[in-house]
Formats: sequence, C-alpha cells, structure tokens
Amino acid sequence: MYQLTKMEGIIAIPPEYLSKNLKEGLSELVRERYEDHLDKEHGFVLLTWDVKPIGSGIIVHGNPSIYQKVSFDALSFKPVLHEVVDGIVCKVAEFGAFCHVGPLDALVHVSQIMDDYVDVNLVNSRIIGKESKKALALGDTLRARIVALSVSELNPDELKIGLTMRQPGLGKHEWIKEERKKKEKEAK
Amino acid sequence: MEYTRFEKARIIGARALQISMGAPPLLEVQKKDPIEIAVLEFEEGVTPITVKRERETRIRPPV
Repeated sequence: MYQLTKMEGIIAIPPEYLSKNLKEGLSELVRERYEDHLDKEHGFVLLTWDVKPIGSGIIVHGNPSIYQKVSFDALSFKPVLHEVVDGIVCKVAEFGAFCHVGPLDALVHVSQIMDDYVDVNLVNSRIIGKESKKALALGDTLRARIVALSVSELNPDELKIGLTMRQPGLGKHEWIKEERKKKEKEAK
Repeated sequence: MEYTRFEKARIIGARALQISMGAPPLLEVQKKDPIEIAVLEFEEGVTPITVKRERETRIRPPV
C-alpha cells in the first residue's frame, strides 16, 4: 500500500553544496539518495519533502563532505505479505505474467493464475485456461494477493513480488464480475 | 571560544580541504592556496566549524 511516513537518515553534503542554501541543498541530496530507491523499512520511496536538519553536521578526518542527520516526510509504496492488490499485465513469460502493481512489478506464476491447466501463448502474449477457456492477455487488469516478497540478490533496489489469483474474489476483473453475476442469479 | 593548537590544526585542515574541493571562501582574498585562505578565515573568526569536546580542555598559554 502507499503510505506517508517520517524518515530519518544521514546525508553526506559535498563541499560544492556549501555555496547553496542549506535546506535546498539537503532536499536535493535527499531526493537523489532516497527517491526511486528501495528502503528496507519503508518500501519503495517515491517522493520526499520537508527535509529538516537534526543537530549540527559532523566533519570526518580526510573527507571534505559534511555528514548531516536529517528528518523528512516521504511517500512510499510498501507491499505487505497477504495484501490484496490490483495490477495490470505488462509482460507474459513462459513461467507466468508480470504485472504493474503500483510503481513496482510483480509476478503471477502460471500455477497461480486460475484453477485450471493453462497454455501460455508467447506469440500474442496470452495465457489461456485449457478447459475454462478463460484468457489473460497483455493490458488486462486483475486483482491478486501478495504471497511472496524478497529483495533481489542481483539488484538490491529491486523487490521480487509473487502474487496468486487462485482464491475466491481474485482474478481478472472481468472474471470477478462474472462470478458475482453468477452468484446473484443463483440467489434469485 | 578558544581552541587548543590541536583543534586549531584540525579546523584549518578540515576547512582547507573543503575549500580545495570547491566550497566557497568566506573572505575576499587574493590568495590561491586553500590552506592560506583557511588560516585567514580562522584568524578572522569566520570559519563555520565548531569543536565538540568530550571533556574539559585546558588551553596552554603560548610560550
């Protein structure tokens, strides 16, 4: 989910930044350091603002930078295990469908798409159920639950998110609608 | 605040390094050497650096 939080950190101010206004310089450095990066505690940081220095900076031996502790407000996207999210299919691979979830990408494994065996058609990027004939294609919107979360070992700025759609109320948005209509009919 | 000779050396050293790496000097001087600029700034008392003391320091008067 998206969240607004207060964050703290230590920022190195290079000497050429000393000619700038402290607050503006710090905002710029915090933006560079935190925005578009993954934070262990707060998830993927999208925006930072209202940067305030805490106490005075520290000068380390043999290093021209000044180390300044700062606090700031941040908007971040933090995926939580078992959270239900909406996504858009952006790439189909032989092992599953990648979809945009907020600012990040997640994977629905072929085994987790529907309660059916599926055929993956890489040529026109579609995943089709063998018996149900339900199809998932590029650009489809879906609702899924996060079942796996891990930081990529190759790139610590990348979060690997695993999704499932094999639970009641989950799946492509059209499937959910159909399911609901069917249930309403049965109730009548 | 009065500084010991060690603190003075550390302040001038740190400031000279900043100036040599692109920090703007705080005095209008003709000098080019960052160490000389740092010394002048220190003597004028405009160096934007303070010392965090862990304990009481005795300052020995100059001989």
